[in-house]
Order: sequence, then C-alpha cells, then structure tokens
Amino acid sequence: MNPFEKIFNYRVTSRMEDTGVFLSTSHERSWLKLMLGHPSAAAAFSGVTLEKLQTLLAQEAPLNLAGDLIHKGSTQEVQVYHPLVRVLRRSIQNHQGIQVSMGLNNGQPGPEQSGLPYRLEYSMVKREWYLLWYSWTRRDFMSIRLQKIAAVCEIPASPELVRTTQAEIQRILESRRQCAVIEILPGYNKELSRILYAFSCFEKEVRYDEEKDSYSISLTYLGNEGEYVLSKMRFLGKRVKIVEGSWLKKRMRESALKALALYQASPDQTQSSQE
Amino acid sequence: MAKESFDKEIQFLRMLVLTSGAYSRQQFAERLGISVHTFDKTLKKLKEVANTLLEQPPEAQGQVFTDAFRSNYYESADPLLLFLFQAKSLKETESLRISRILAALSDNQELTMKDLLDICCSGLDLDSAFPDEKTIRSDLKYLEEVGAVVKGAGPRPYRYRLNNDLVRQLSREELLDLFDFVDIMANTQLPSVQGYLLRDSLKKELVRQDEKKQAIEPFLYKYHYYSRILDEAHLSVLLSAIRGRRKIQFLYFSPKASTSYASQNTNPLFERESSGRTETALPLKIVYDHQYGRWYLLTHSKHQGIRKYRLEGMMQIEEGEAVSGELFLAEKSALEQKISTSWLIDTGRPVTVRAKFLNPQRSSTTRNFVKERVLLQGQWGTITEEAPHFFIYEITVNGTTEIKPWLRSFGSSCEVLAPRQLREELMAEWKEILDYYEPF
Repeated sequence: MNPFEKIFNYRVTSRMEDTGVFLSTSHERSWLKLMLGHPSAAAAFSGVTLEKLQTLLAQEAPLNLAGDLIHKGSTQEVQVYHPLVRVLRRSIQNHQGIQVSMGLNNGQPGPEQSGLPYRLEYSMVKREWYLLWYSWTRRDFMSIRLQKIAAVCEIPASPELVRTTQAEIQRILESRRQCAVIEILPGYNKELSRILYAFSCFEKEVRYDEEKDSYSISLTYLGNEGEYVLSKMRFLGKRVKIVEGSWLKKRMRESALKALALYQASPDQTQSSQE
Repeated sequence: MAKESFDKEIQFLRMLVLTSGAYSRQQFAERLGISVHTFDKTLKKLKEVANTLLEQPPEAQGQVFTDAFRSNYYESADPLLLFLFQAKSLKETESLRISRILAALSDNQELTMKDLLDICCSGLDLDSAFPDEKTIRSDLKYLEEVGAVVKGAGPRPYRYRLNNDLVRQLSREELLDLFDFVDIMANTQLPSVQGYLLRDSLKKELVRQDEKKQAIEPFLYKYHYYSRILDEAHLSVLLSAIRGRRKIQFLYFSPKASTSYASQNTNPLFERESSGRTETALPLKIVYDHQYGRWYLLTHSKHQGIRKYRLEGMMQIEEGEAVSGELFLAEKSALEQKISTSWLIDTGRPVTVRAKFLNPQRSSTTRNFVKERVLLQGQWGTITEEAPHFFIYEITVNGTTEIKPWLRSFGSSCEVLAPRQLREELMAEWKEILDYYEPF
C-alpha cells in the first residue's frame, strides 16, 4: 500500500490526537507482522506478549519483500536487541540510578560503579548497543557497550541528584561539541549529491559560494566522534578537504604520510602474479 | 493532491535537508527547476504541515525552515521527514468527516452507516454542505480498505468498529515494549516508513495513557541516514511493479545533472525542455546502499540491457505492460548472477582484490578493531593469511571503483597488494591528499 494514503493526512492525524483515537492501518500492521518474524522479536517481548501480538495480527498479510529489496555495503547485524535494553530503558524512563559492574577480559566482574543512565544508543556502524550514562563514581559522562556489562541493578536516586546530574550531562555534551569545515573540491561538484548523502548522518550546514562555484560543509560533532569523521573523510578521499579543524587536519596528514610510507616500504608484489 | 506535486515536494525536501541552507531562494528554485513563486508556495505549505504536526512552540515557528531539520542528535530520534508522508492534501470537509467517523467509533462503539451519517450531520454548522449516505458509505469503504475500521459480526445493517485491538488488548507495559520494538525496528531495518507511522501513533497513545509521565524516548541511533525515508515514497509502486512483472515508465534526472526536477506545465506557452529523460524499463530489484544511504533500482530494457537508476532521480512513475513470466525470470536470474559479486551495484568484470591490513599496535588484550571492522563490513571477502602484525583479506568484486572508498577509509591500516592498478591509484590518491595538507 502507498504510504501517502489520505488516512495519514496531517489534518486527520492532528484531529485524531484531540479526540484520543488510536489509529492503525493494515499497512502498518503488515509491516509489524514482517518485523515480528525477525529473530530479535523473541528478545523484545515476553512469551505471552509475543503470542498475543501474533494472534492479534493473524489476519494480516505480512509485508512481502521476497528478495526484491536487497542490502549492499552494510555491516553485518551483530545484535538488534540486547537483554539489557528492556531493563535499562525503564530505568531511564523512571529517572532511576543504576549500579553497574563491567566484565573484565579474564571473565571476572570488574569494580562496581554507580550513575544515572541517559540514553541507549544503537550504532549503525558497529550494529550494537551502547549505554550513555553519567558515572557518579568517575564523575564523567561515558558510553559503554551493553556487551561489556556483567551485571546491573537499579538504585534509588533523589530528584535533586537526578536534576543536577542531568544538568551536568548537558554541560558535558555542550563542552564536547567540535566543529570542522570541509570543502568539496570544485572539480567534484558533479558528485555533490553523493558527498552530501555521505555526510547526511551528521549535524551540518552547507554553504555555497556562487562566485567560486564551491561548497563547504560545517560539521558539528562530539569530540569522541573525531575518528569517525576521519574515516568518512578518508572514505571520500580527494573529493573533500578539511579547511578548519586543526586536529582533523593533522590526523589526515598523518594518515596520508603513513599510507605512502607503507606503499613505498613494500615493493610492488603484484608484478610476478600479473605476468 | 496531484502525484506530480508529491514528486516536487520530495525533491524539495531532499534538497533542503542535504544542502541545508546553502542556496538563496532564487538559486534553490533554479536548481529544482521551479519558479520562485512555486518555491515560496511549497515552502509555505510544508511549513504549515510541519507546524501542525511537530507542535512547535509559536516562537519557534518563525525560525528558518531548515533549522527545524537540523538534527539535534542527542535530543530525540523523531524522524522529522516523516511529515512528508502526511502532507497529502485533503479537502477540509473530507478530513473533518473522516475524523468525526473515527472519533465516533472510538470508545469501543459499534455503529451503523446511518448512525454515522447522523453524527456527521449533527455537528456541522448550517453553512457547510451535509454529507449524504453515498459519501459516508464510500468513506467507510475506504476506511475498511486501509484497515482502520472493521465490520462487526452480525447481519445487515452492518455495524462498524475501530480496528484498534493492538492497543485495547495490550497492557501499558506491553504497549511500552511494543513502542520500543517498533522504534528499534523502524530505525534499524528496511523499509521503515510504515514503522515510523506506527511509532508515531503508539507514542501518542502512551502519552495519553500516562499524562504525568511523558513517554520519554530512551533510544538514539548513531550515524543514521534519515533522509533515506524520502525515497521510500517510491517503494510500494516499484515493489508492486516487480511483483506484477510490469514495465514502468518514468522521468529520470541523473543526480549529476544541475537540476533535479521540472514542473509539468499544462499551458504550452510555458512549456520548456525538461532536462529529465523519459525512460521505460522492466524493474527487477531494489538495492539499498548502506555506504551512502541511497536507493537504486536495477532494471532491464530490451536495447540497453541492465540499467541502474537512483530512486532519488525518478519521477512520475507509471506502470506499463506486463511481460511474460519466463522473460522476467530469465532477466532476473541473469541480473542476480551479475550482481552476485558487486560490492554495491557494479556489473563490470570481476577482479580479485588482495589487501594487507595492519593490526593496531597495542597490547594484545585490547580489541583488534581493524579486524573486527573488516569481518563486519567486508561482505563475502575472506581472511586468507594471518600473522602477528597483519592479515591478508581477499575478495572477488566487480570492478574496483565501489570497494575503493571502503579500503581507503582504513587509512594507513590498509595496503592494497593487488590488482596493481588499484594499488597505484591508491598511492596516487594518498599523494594528492597529502598535498592538500602541506605545508602545515
């Protein structure tokens, strides 16, 4: 079914909101039925709920993609759900503190830390879940892989503590903001669309200089995301150039120097196999 | 609203999101191939829809439109572009009627067409035209078709009720689990528009059930190409054409062209050469490219063989004649064969790429993130040789153009050994990149 059905019209939707009607179409339920077929559904619901949903959707035809839609260039799916997602999302919603012990490499649980969970973040690049939280023990805003958590339990937190911690999180996020300006080399203007798509996952602003017919992109990102910005820059290669952001510039130069050293150090071994 | 107008709005929004504020009104209109007047009108309309749906505080409504789209990553995972799918115009009377019918059917009411006709007539002021039986009948038929209402059991006259078992039969806790599931699946799987629409209604339902506790959204999705949902507008049309083995006709604008849209002028005086081309092809497969977040359609046409189109540039898609089952299957399996070794969609000659990846130089207890990434993203390639400091990765792909950016993204952790040409290209590119940052 077409996603432009008039039932989704914004006037209808906003009027429905006023009357408190819950609306769902067979179009959405078919999608849900398709998704319930994903192995992660078992981790998302209790057995009873999953069965209930399957009964409720028994009459719907599942959305059938039958291999007509394929994915390319993707990261293998490591996990879509993690057992801790359900637990931690409730702690976040209820503004509760948590006590976390991390697993160490030798299999022993590490020291316990307490803090306030902030968000659960799914990395589309690594295809796994991370917990963003403020550790009261370390007095810092941190991100840990759910995979690394050996045990977690909820601990009460006073509203006052929650408020001050949240304010601290905002302050840290704000202070970690970095900005870089990236220029598209004018010779590659024909590839503008591709380049902009590659940057569409960032917070950004684009400027166009009509006289020079050149585009520049101002990216805003958090300090610890610099490595990812760099890998995107290397991905796009000579089409783009960092014009502002000295750390990024320095690292790009290092990359190029080291890569060239690598190629020059090892003589071309392809010759014998080619001839 | 006319189909054409949607094509325009999708292009409009895409350009707005991708270039976020790069162009002046005049430039924007020129590149889109519309007049400045149309630009203003489209912007006004989209603003109105956005304001209704996003419930922006009045002071934010005056903001530049593009600001509304600048994702504030750590705030929310609300897909702002979703509103495009809700922007379809509807006559005021029709939207009023439909929402009255649905509101009347809430509270688990079962009502007949006559009851609903009365309800629709009673609330209207005298100036407006009263709906007749035929109109209500066709509204109900439509609502039943899209699955929003169902006929209750029992003889005529039929009684209708809202199809809202999903929320009626689930407890608050179960509903929260459902919201999470829909949120996560819509954000991590394809297709997603239906999921986003469902997520939206579930979110509102949760807020309604528990007014004190705003349903806060605990999830974020990092490095997510959310503009991909604009291309999903074409998905159902294309899937149904593939399913029906039907050819399609459309106007195509290559993403490399300077304009991306041209208005259909009914008045011949204003007609001008559109820069798009009319294409006819048999659609075979839709490909989503995770490297850039873009969609492709792979087709076959009699004279040109396999053709690839970016969904982004397709407009005015219309279904044409069906082809025979044998022909379709033959072309489809030929295509599958051809793309079995495409890194993305390249159908060129297969070559074997060998690359040496250097392990990070740290103590052995830390993660080998280079190897992890190669294993996760390296598709069907395999590691053929391992040593303490490096490993060799080998893959056979169609051409080297599509895999090159990925190999280059590893920087000095990757050295291409073969083919020789790719090795030389990369060396030359690194030299050029080094020039960009020198002297420093």
